[in-house]
Amino acid sequence: MQITKLASDQRLQAALLIAPALIIYAVFAIYPMIDVVALSFQKWNGLDANRHFVGLSNYIDIFTKDPVFWVAFRNTITWTILSTIFPPLFGLLLALGLNQRLFARNSLRAIYYLPVIIAPIAVATMWRWMYDPFFGIFNQVLSLLGLQSWIKDWLGARDVALYSAFVAYVWQTVGFSMVLFLAGLQGVDKSLVEAARIDGADRWQRFRFVTLPALRPTITIVLVLSVISSLKAFDIIYGLTGGGPAQSTQMLALWAFTQSMQIFDFGRGSAISTVLLLITLAIVIPYMRWAQKREEAAE
Amino acid sequence: MTLKTSMLRKTLLASAIAIAMAGANAYAQDVTIWTLNFTSEAANNAIQKVATDFEAANPGVNVEIVTRGVDDHKTALRVAAGSDKGPDIYFSWAGLGLGGEYINAGFSLPLDKYYAEYKWDDRLTASSLSFSKIYKGGRHGVPFTFKGEAVYYNKALFKQAGIEKLPESYAELVAAAEKLKAAGIPAITFGGMVNWHVMRLMDVILESKCGAKKHDALKNMQADWTAEPCATASFAELSTWSKNYILSPFMGIDQSQSFNLFVGGRAAMMLEGDWLVQQLSEAGNLDGYDIFPFPTGTGRLYGFAEYHYISSKSPNSNLAAKFLDYFNSTPVQQELLGKISTTSVNKNVTYSNLRPMDKKWLDIFNKYTDVYMNGDQAFPLDVTTEYFRVINEVASGNIAAADAAKQLQTFISNRK
Repeated sequence: MQITKLASDQRLQAALLIAPALIIYAVFAIYPMIDVVALSFQKWNGLDANRHFVGLSNYIDIFTKDPVFWVAFRNTITWTILSTIFPPLFGLLLALGLNQRLFARNSLRAIYYLPVIIAPIAVATMWRWMYDPFFGIFNQVLSLLGLQSWIKDWLGARDVALYSAFVAYVWQTVGFSMVLFLAGLQGVDKSLVEAARIDGADRWQRFRFVTLPALRPTITIVLVLSVISSLKAFDIIYGLTGGGPAQSTQMLALWAFTQSMQIFDFGRGSAISTVLLLITLAIVIPYMRWAQKREEAAE
Repeated sequence: MTLKTSMLRKTLLASAIAIAMAGANAYAQDVTIWTLNFTSEAANNAIQKVATDFEAANPGVNVEIVTRGVDDHKTALRVAAGSDKGPDIYFSWAGLGLGGEYINAGFSLPLDKYYAEYKWDDRLTASSLSFSKIYKGGRHGVPFTFKGEAVYYNKALFKQAGIEKLPESYAELVAAAEKLKAAGIPAITFGGMVNWHVMRLMDVILESKCGAKKHDALKNMQADWTAEPCATASFAELSTWSKNYILSPFMGIDQSQSFNLFVGGRAAMMLEGDWLVQQLSEAGNLDGYDIFPFPTGTGRLYGFAEYHYISSKSPNSNLAAKFLDYFNSTPVQQELLGKISTTSVNKNVTYSNLRPMDKKWLDIFNKYTDVYMNGDQAFPLDVTTEYFRVINEVASGNIAAADAAKQLQTFISNRK
């Protein structure tokens, strides 16, 4: 009787249902995160049996003595700004185009989405070959067009290497934004669009005053996901430049990995990871709260 | 308890013991080796064949070879050192910088008793064995290879540039590079994307400009990079090479692409190890190339040793030692000759069917008794990373030579 009563308790049912996921999340996400923060106050090379508490020393070192940290910091911010603009913008334009009744529309959607499912390291390998200064397709085409002065060492010159890597990143991620916007566009009320057309609104006005407001929740999601994925940009840079030349394309996520897994200074690596975590939270939480308030106000 | 239940229990118990014994037996007969995925396919196949032959000679033994790229191998070793899982035998560079850390951390088993049991000192060359004696607490590791690095050159391009005599001093090498440049031929090729490739040029320039003693002091971080004029002069020299003599652009390509360009006749020289002989052979015309040691004037050869270490966590150290004894035995080393390395660490190996370039390498190894190591094996890992950065900055023309020395020294001073 008692068991039956307990089993019918909805709160208990909910707790039981979320418990497995919560345990996995706690073990594989929360605990490592806490451990990384704790490690950032310790010195450990991964070999010693003991970790030694060093206070803020790792943070002082990365802020004042590390010649690469601020380069990685600047690159991460630049990358994030660019990632928040271009992939969502191109994704929206593609979604608008592919929402029309076009020949082979579904095939085109699949083609544009295809790069998303390719492993980033494979994307990097492919683009590295295309960027090859001697045999790569870009320099070959420029050469054929007689534009020799435009030929560059795309991944080896520090003034263009980061942006070259970013182009590959856009190619890979734009399909993801496109799919989200396509899903959002299916939720736009067609009768409102039609009513606006009857009222004399032109194509731009229909988009500006009907479609765009309806896409607001999708835009929030796309922007937040773009910011998060750009802040943790790692594999594409690792595969394309390895952070070079001379660490000029280094990013915080990759530099944290380098410090921890290549230099084996887990304290410094964790300090960089913690800084990255704080930056992510500082950007994402206020934006989500602001977006949520706007949506609530609109309702 | 019924008879049936009792019999069932006994049967289950007997089965459990049998399974446990079989499991323990299988476990005791496994040897796992972590090594590199070598560029030469012949090398990878040759190592696999040694394992297969050892298994055939020792029924019930299973040798598993796990290969990885250089960086992945280093990372995997670190993870293994901090856990209970890992290989029985692992490959590592023998210098203090890369391999030494694992030994100092207790990841390598002292092998004194196996050296005595198998009499490796009688069989292996003294130069390759020297690295086993540099650590406290006993002998560590068994030599795998001894690698030398020298300048490979394209004979036709040298002839085309009118270079009739091979450079015997650094000044003569620069003069040869100038002749090549005048003939419209890029003198040398490097892949800047992998930091360690251009580093080789900096290493040999340092040896040339500073001499053996100062070079060692700089690499040991006992000398001040800003106080030694030769250090700044070396960075300046590196800058000169990158502006005038290295096939450009080079920062956006890796070592393998650099090799392709060399084989394609796009540059006249390449600073590589003795392993390149096999790669050149696989790529085609070996007769079109020759080698000469980088003329530093110090009488030391640029190179390093690679070792096999037995993990201190290996439950099968006796079997691992037996495998290493087999690996370094004269017949096996005779068979491996030319596939992994031009020369063997086994002094009983005979060199009857050497290719001319292998013979050249053998002459070089016989001539040189002292070695200076690659920068990434001499420095600790964090300093190596900074060394790479500074070298790349100079090679890219982003910082001046004096600034390079200053930045490197600042980094070294800050870590103390």
